[in-house]
Amino acid sequence: MKKITLAILSLVFLSSTLFAQENTQEKVRQKGHYNSSKFKQLDEELPTPNKQHMASGAPGYEYTQQQVDYKMTIILDDENQKIFGEETITYHNNSKDALDYLWVQLDQNMRAPNSKTNDVSGGGPDALYTPAKFTKMFMGKPFQGGFNIDYIKDVNGNPLSYMINFTMMRVDLPKPLAAGEKFIFNIKWWYNINDYMADRGRSGYEPFPDGNNLYIIAQFFPRLAVYNNVKGWQNLQFWGRSEFALEFGNYDVSITTPKDHILNATGVIQNPKEVFTKEQNKRYESSKTSFDKPVFIVTPEEALEAEKSKNTATKTWKFYAENVRDFAFSSSRKFIWDAMAVDFNGKTVMAYSLYPKEGNPLWEEHSTRVIANTLKVYSESTFDYPYPHATSINAERQGMEYPMICWNGGRPDENGKYNDRTKKGMIGVITHEVGHNFFPMIVNSDEREWTWMDEGINSFVEILAEYKYDPELFPLSKYPKNIVGYMSGDQDQLSPIMTQGDNVFNFGSNAYAKPAAGLFMLRQTIMGPEMFDHAFKTYAKRWKFKHPTPADFFRTMEDASAMDLDWFWRGWFYTTGNNDIGIKEVKKYHVTDKPTEQAENLAKRYGITVDQLPPSLYLVSEDSKEYTDDLKGKKPEDYTVLNNYLQDNFSAEEKATLKAPKYFYELVFDKPGDLVMPIIVEFEYEDGSKERKQYPAEIWRLNDNEVTKVFPSSKVISKITIDPDEETADVDTSNNSWPKNTETQFDNFKKNQIKG
Amino acid sequence: MERFLLISKKEFMKYQKYVILLIIAPLLAFSVHKYYISLCEVEYVEEKKSVQIIISHFIDDLEITLNNEHKKDFFLATNKEAKNIQEIYEDYLHKHLKFTINQKPAQYQFIGKEYDDDLVRFYLEIPNVQKLNSIEIENTCLIKDFEDQQNIIKIKVKKFNKTFYLTKSNVKGLLKFQ
Ligand SMILES: [Zn+2]
Repeated sequence: MKKITLAILSLVFLSSTLFAQENTQEKVRQKGHYNSSKFKQLDEELPTPNKQHMASGAPGYEYTQQQVDYKMTIILDDENQKIFGEETITYHNNSKDALDYLWVQLDQNMRAPNSKTNDVSGGGPDALYTPAKFTKMFMGKPFQGGFNIDYIKDVNGNPLSYMINFTMMRVDLPKPLAAGEKFIFNIKWWYNINDYMADRGRSGYEPFPDGNNLYIIAQFFPRLAVYNNVKGWQNLQFWGRSEFALEFGNYDVSITTPKDHILNATGVIQNPKEVFTKEQNKRYESSKTSFDKPVFIVTPEEALEAEKSKNTATKTWKFYAENVRDFAFSSSRKFIWDAMAVDFNGKTVMAYSLYPKEGNPLWEEHSTRVIANTLKVYSESTFDYPYPHATSINAERQGMEYPMICWNGGRPDENGKYNDRTKKGMIGVITHEVGHNFFPMIVNSDEREWTWMDEGINSFVEILAEYKYDPELFPLSKYPKNIVGYMSGDQDQLSPIMTQGDNVFNFGSNAYAKPAAGLFMLRQTIMGPEMFDHAFKTYAKRWKFKHPTPADFFRTMEDASAMDLDWFWRGWFYTTGNNDIGIKEVKKYHVTDKPTEQAENLAKRYGITVDQLPPSLYLVSEDSKEYTDDLKGKKPEDYTVLNNYLQDNFSAEEKATLKAPKYFYELVFDKPGDLVMPIIVEFEYEDGSKERKQYPAEIWRLNDNEVTKVFPSSKVISKITIDPDEETADVDTSNNSWPKNTETQFDNFKKNQIKG
Repeated sequence: MERFLLISKKEFMKYQKYVILLIIAPLLAFSVHKYYISLCEVEYVEEKKSVQIIISHFIDDLEITLNNEHKKDFFLATNKEAKNIQEIYEDYLHKHLKFTINQKPAQYQFIGKEYDDDLVRFYLEIPNVQKLNSIEIENTCLIKDFEDQQNIIKIKVKKFNKTFYLTKSNVKGLLKFQ
């Protein structure tokens, strides 16, 4: 018995080969090709693993990272909007290489009169020019921004030779810096602070009608570029968009401001008693135990009092920050400051918000609570937030992140009124920027090169955090379909996610929304939350305080889940293709014990009679001439051939658990889209009940255009819908249902409009 | 006179506030994404002899523009929304979204609007188009107030798809069928 079955099985295989040959009509010589499978492994795209970045996606045993410590003395000149600094840099060469020079980033030079940022951006005339802008652009009075370097000296006071190339400065070392050695040097500098409300810049100051300024000061000091074995020196220029690649280190910073300013920064205040009033200091201390609600450190009344006059005396704030990749601060007379403590397994982290009265009542209601929520959700997805505080500063029209501190826009109107959209925008931007503490401030990818690694990954966790804060305002249901409009756009306007940030079209969609939608889909639909969360957490923990690359992310997600996702990375990250899966054809089959024509042909081909075929059941399509009405409603177990088999092989108990399908559907799925994706199918039966089946993406392995599946059912299917919840960013849903739905979104709306 | 002055001063201040708002093109300033786009989907449905149009705008952007144009606050998509908003919308669209079909200006009917999260969608229809030989779309929505505004037009005619990316320096898209 067994032997016959095997023989028949091999016949079946042979016969299908024969068919294929019969269909070949012309003898055109076909060309060979490389492996073009969508499931081909990424070995050619990803860099060869090494002992620093391993094949598993983890840092290797020879992984090294430079360290740079800064000691800085800063003076903020509010009167003239200038900033002065003296910094001592200690560069630790932890690599195995000897270095002849160091590259230092001078990001402020992007705002220098000779900046090349404007030269490289095209476009026609602006819609309007303010007088200030007009003079600046056309009348030879550009803003005098950019660093003024007073000196660069070694520890003994000897000048060092240096060369400035736009936003990068090479400092030549007197002798090569050997592996394991350190080099200490000093830079003195100053620059004019820009009005960011006028020049739309990242950081600067916001002038208020009351004569006060609100400073958000960042990328404000010469900072060391990253040196590693991936890029050597990361010295791509700062054009204004693609952000930063920086080394970790410790910061010891003192900042002198007007005496009536309130300030917070990266790190912890070392002299609270000197900078706060007695009352404020008391509140500063007691806020550390306020876990349930925000409390004031600087009250609205105190801020109102401070902004009324200008004190010309000064005070000095002292900060210390450990293991951070950057330093930023914000200062103003106008600041109200509230605080709340957040517990992480016994360790207290402070959530701080600083805002002018113009931010209220929105800010006192939400900012600090949003910070606490963000830290909690992100920590659950990664690791416990390791820094002592996270601060959100209200700076109009900003959204920018630095270690422990970020600037966020969003204010009510002049009557203190705001609508849901303003509130949503403000909660969204705070969640996003505070979230950046994890990506890229701690899981420290190279932002200059790969925007998606910080913006995309961060935007993904942001979705989860916002939903936790307010599920009504931030429903999950819009993901990933929010990306469909972008992905179905003209191919000339698309670039793969794996494109350096400055060369990307539609920056927001490409570097934020698309990777976030992709990861959301990976979590919800392709991997499932359990598998995804473990792998994602593994990536975050492996690369905490280190410099991961895209390969480290891709490899870790597979290494920790035992899921081959190369097809997903290839399609979603390396191409501009989109997903479109349709249902092309549905055929209903009934079961019979009478050999069909197909079976007869099979027997004939191998020279046996129909009787010599083993006892079998056959499926007959409703639209074939072999179909007769008496087959309708017949159950498979009505046929002796199956019944006998069941009697012989199963107990009564087992038989009771067997399913009894009556109908068999042949489903033909086609795929006009480039991407491979799981096929999610919803079957709706005559009785109104529904059932789902998800076929993994690997279903497209051997045929990239069309696949056929047989689906057994005990009930008649009345409707089939592909991807009913829009989980796979399918760009054309007009082919997603059977029977075909010809109604457009427009028709539906119009119909409802008339009804309503 | 006094009264008039008072009003106009208030109006002026409001206007000033918006002028500040509109000169920014925030791509550089934002690490969180904010991009200025609208999407206009145009489909010719042969069986119905009709051109169906759905145009989506960010409510925030449209609100700034309408407020500027009318020098008042419309409170879009809130319970304080102006009563005559339908009229305002229709008026704005007729000024800034124009269709030419088979080389003749074509009027569309305003079917309705819907708010969806931060978007507003307008449904417009040009009925009685027996045959579509050419279609030209001029879209100047929002470009006055947002320098970086990109108005995307997606046209679908039977199996044919075409996307135009219109900007302040290129406000028209033309498609011809032989
Ligand atoms: Zn961001």
